Amino acid sequence: MKSALILLGHSIKRVRALVLAMGLLLAGFQILIVLVGSEIQTSGSFNQFANLVPPFVRQMFGQMLDVFLSFKGIVALGYFHLAIMGGLIGLVIALATVPSSEIETGFMDLLLSRPLARYWIITRALALVVVTIIFMLAMIMLGTWTGLMIFGPADAEWPTIGLILSLALNLGILLLCWGGVALAVASVARRRGAAGAIAGMLALTTFLLDYIGRAWEPAETVAWISPFRYYSPLDLVRGAYIPGHHVFVLLGIALTGIVVAYIAFSRRDI
Amino acid sequence: MPFLYRRARLFRMQGRMTDNDATPAISVRSLTKTYGRLVAVKNLSLEVRRGETVGFLGLNGAGKTTTIRILLDLLRPSSGRCFILGYDCQTEGLEARSHVGYLPGEMGLYGDLTGFELLDLMAGLGRRRVESHYRNELKRRLELEDRDLRRKLREYSTGMKRKLGIIQAFQHDPPLLMLDEPTEGLDPLMQESFYELLANLKRRGRTVFMSSHVLSEVERVCDRIALLRDGELVLLATVEEVRELAPRRVRVSFYEDVIPDEALPQAIEFIEKSPRAWTLEARGQLGSLIHALGRLPVADLIIEEPKLEDVLKSYYRKGD
Repeated sequence: MKSALILLGHSIKRVRALVLAMGLLLAGFQILIVLVGSEIQTSGSFNQFANLVPPFVRQMFGQMLDVFLSFKGIVALGYFHLAIMGGLIGLVIALATVPSSEIETGFMDLLLSRPLARYWIITRALALVVVTIIFMLAMIMLGTWTGLMIFGPADAEWPTIGLILSLALNLGILLLCWGGVALAVASVARRRGAAGAIAGMLALTTFLLDYIGRAWEPAETVAWISPFRYYSPLDLVRGAYIPGHHVFVLLGIALTGIVVAYIAFSRRDI
Repeated sequence: MPFLYRRARLFRMQGRMTDNDATPAISVRSLTKTYGRLVAVKNLSLEVRRGETVGFLGLNGAGKTTTIRILLDLLRPSSGRCFILGYDCQTEGLEARSHVGYLPGEMGLYGDLTGFELLDLMAGLGRRRVESHYRNELKRRLELEDRDLRRKLREYSTGMKRKLGIIQAFQHDPPLLMLDEPTEGLDPLMQESFYELLANLKRRGRTVFMSSHVLSEVERVCDRIALLRDGELVLLATVEEVRELAPRRVRVSFYEDVIPDEALPQAIEFIEKSPRAWTLEARGQLGSLIHALGRLPVADLIIEEPKLEDVLKSYYRKGD
């Protein structure tokens, strides 16, 4: 256990600058998004935007559009904006593939020549992913809170703490899911580039699959295999609860990936 | 209960380490490692006694590093078993590796770490305490200053990385050291310091298992030699025994012309001959040659030291 903590400390130390920088960036983005929402609210532009939306778009998005075209919706966007999701999934993949990077550089030979069980290597990577996800979500929420405290308009409906926490939790579960997938890939790969590329391509492909599935009915029949299908932040913004089975599917994928990683890494040649 | 279990395990471990000093430091039994059709190590059996320094030789791709990596449980054998100080390298790998210091052939390091950070990390991952006076002694012998160790590894030269690798392998003073090409990249003076370090370890009863391509180094520091060719052990002998196998050059000069003698022993081969000087190659004992030369007008006789290198190279070539 002592060895594992030392190893975790070493890994955190190595990535702390990157994680800290990204955390600050996301917090800053949240503050900015609150500022933008506040200005739109103050200028009364939400109604103007709503009037500009063509009827077919209104029909496609239904009530969702009204949610979006509000101060609360704009603030919530920071939790599922494509750039945020992409950036965070990329970061999680980078951290989960640390074991294959250590194999590639030969550093793993040094680590495992010490009396260190192989499962600690995976546990360390998992802990690194979990700690980073928690930190990132905390930074995003801190950014939201700071933005609201400084720029939040008094006359608008603010997102509730419950909504913010639910959005953060939902995003966290999605990130954990991709962390599990990347960990499984990294546990069998010899090169970080290959592991990262495979996990990244999987994320992109399944995202596009879900995206197409939502707009094009024939794709709907296979879109269920995409983890993004079970990520529903808009429902939360609209006031609905996350379906329980969505959470189970995402956590199930994460758990499967983690178990595969432990088994594969314990059996492989380094 | 976990406490009792730990105590029982501790007693078992202590018992294994101390009750039987005859337990080999390394024991390899019928070890085979294949990669698809490629056989990297073929039915290798080998024992290294405690306190020995054994040179593990072979051409590139002979299976030396593969064997070392199996001993460290980095690779899993296709068949066979291996033990370190009585601990099965695969099923009791943690206990086995807690007694080992390892220097890989190629050090995979993160450039953003400092030398001290690497040494502290490796020390923290072990079970044996690192004594600061011993680490300082290693630093002094290998001329690695504190200011060097405070620098990032990306600024290190190949030689400095090697020295750092040696310190990380030696710093917890393990009973067994596995060194893969230890002097690769070290300058001659540092090589000398390293040999002194090995001599010191030997005096203190430590076991060293090292792979090397430098035959003069092996001749100088090793007690025994294990030679692999295409994954198979083709030679396992003491340095003295190998030396005896080596042909010796004998140069004889005469004070008057001599006709080559038909009666020279059969194990003697002429390399060069002129009426007043012969160069011969002799194998085995030289008594019969001396006896035969006694009947001739010998002016001078020079017997060259047998070269280990010649024997080992002949073993390398046999596979061609």
